[in-house]
Amino acid sequence: MRSTSGKISILAVCLVVGMLLSVQFRTSANYNIAIRSDRTEDLALKNTTLTKEKEALSKEVISLREKLTNVGSESQLTTDLQEELKKSNMVAGLIPVYGPGVIVTLNDSPRNIQPGDDPNALLVHDEDILKIVNEMRASGAEAIAVNNERITSMSEIRCAGTTILVNWNKIAPPFVIKATGDPQLLESGLSIRGGQLEILKSFGLQTQLERNNRIEIPAYNGALKFQFTTPAQSNKKAES
Amino acid sequence: MWLLIIFCLAVGLFIGYQLPILLPVAMVKYMSIGVLAALDSVFGGIRAYMEDSFDNTIFITGFFTNSLLAAGFAYLGDRLGLELYLAAVVVFGVRLFQNLGIIRRYLLKKY
Repeated sequence: MRSTSGKISILAVCLVVGMLLSVQFRTSANYNIAIRSDRTEDLALKNTTLTKEKEALSKEVISLREKLTNVGSESQLTTDLQEELKKSNMVAGLIPVYGPGVIVTLNDSPRNIQPGDDPNALLVHDEDILKIVNEMRASGAEAIAVNNERITSMSEIRCAGTTILVNWNKIAPPFVIKATGDPQLLESGLSIRGGQLEILKSFGLQTQLERNNRIEIPAYNGALKFQFTTPAQSNKKAES
Repeated sequence: MWLLIIFCLAVGLFIGYQLPILLPVAMVKYMSIGVLAALDSVFGGIRAYMEDSFDNTIFITGFFTNSLLAAGFAYLGDRLGLELYLAAVVVFGVRLFQNLGIIRRYLLKKY
């Protein structure tokens, strides 16, 4: 049955296959090039420059704040105000502080992922850190920092893709959560039965809780801005 | 006949190269399986043509159902978390080589 219609259909199919093949080639070639060489290098470069820029800017913020406090100390009439300012700064996390407290270290599970394992069970999540910070606050912590990011009244702890953001900075394991306060109270609050630390330990994550007599907690080094909020009554302060 | 087939393939490649279409990344995998199935159909058709047992209907329906089924298989496998596309790759790969071998033998016999 060597019919002409058979010939024609074979040829037509050949034509279609050729088209499919070349579209496919072109597509995979395009994506490989786009992803492999150009984009990654470009993005890596941007990342490094932006990180450097950010470091420089946060240093500038700190030095500017120091200058601001120097200006304040020159006037001797305002010692009371100074005291008040210091307290407010401590509450807001704008100056570094130190004191006795506890250090909690969290790290991902050392176990390798086996096929069928849920990789989420082996990782420290933003929620875990959030709960521990909450527990610290409930146990009377006065200043808290996660990987040297001071937790302020406006700090967030959340996950963004595969990393955790605190104060809009990416932090990576091991997570070191420092808190100043009554070490006894903090320790017993954190190691309470059924508490977050115990839950994490039962999942096989590496947790560590230690007391320390002098814990240094850095200042918040991000920008402060109130875009939408203005004080309602500046002379009526809350009792502190 | 052979010249015509190669010519058609070349024309197809050229048209595909000129077409302003790029597939979305997610579709590339399914498309490759579909292309493999289509290639298998072509070789199967050529073989049947040489064996004089060519049936136009079978050839055309086979071409479309094989391609769509293979791409659908790959898609289903992705949804199920199962590498089902491997089944299509193995089956069509084996058939491709078998058909090629038979075509080669016919050609050797002929010339």
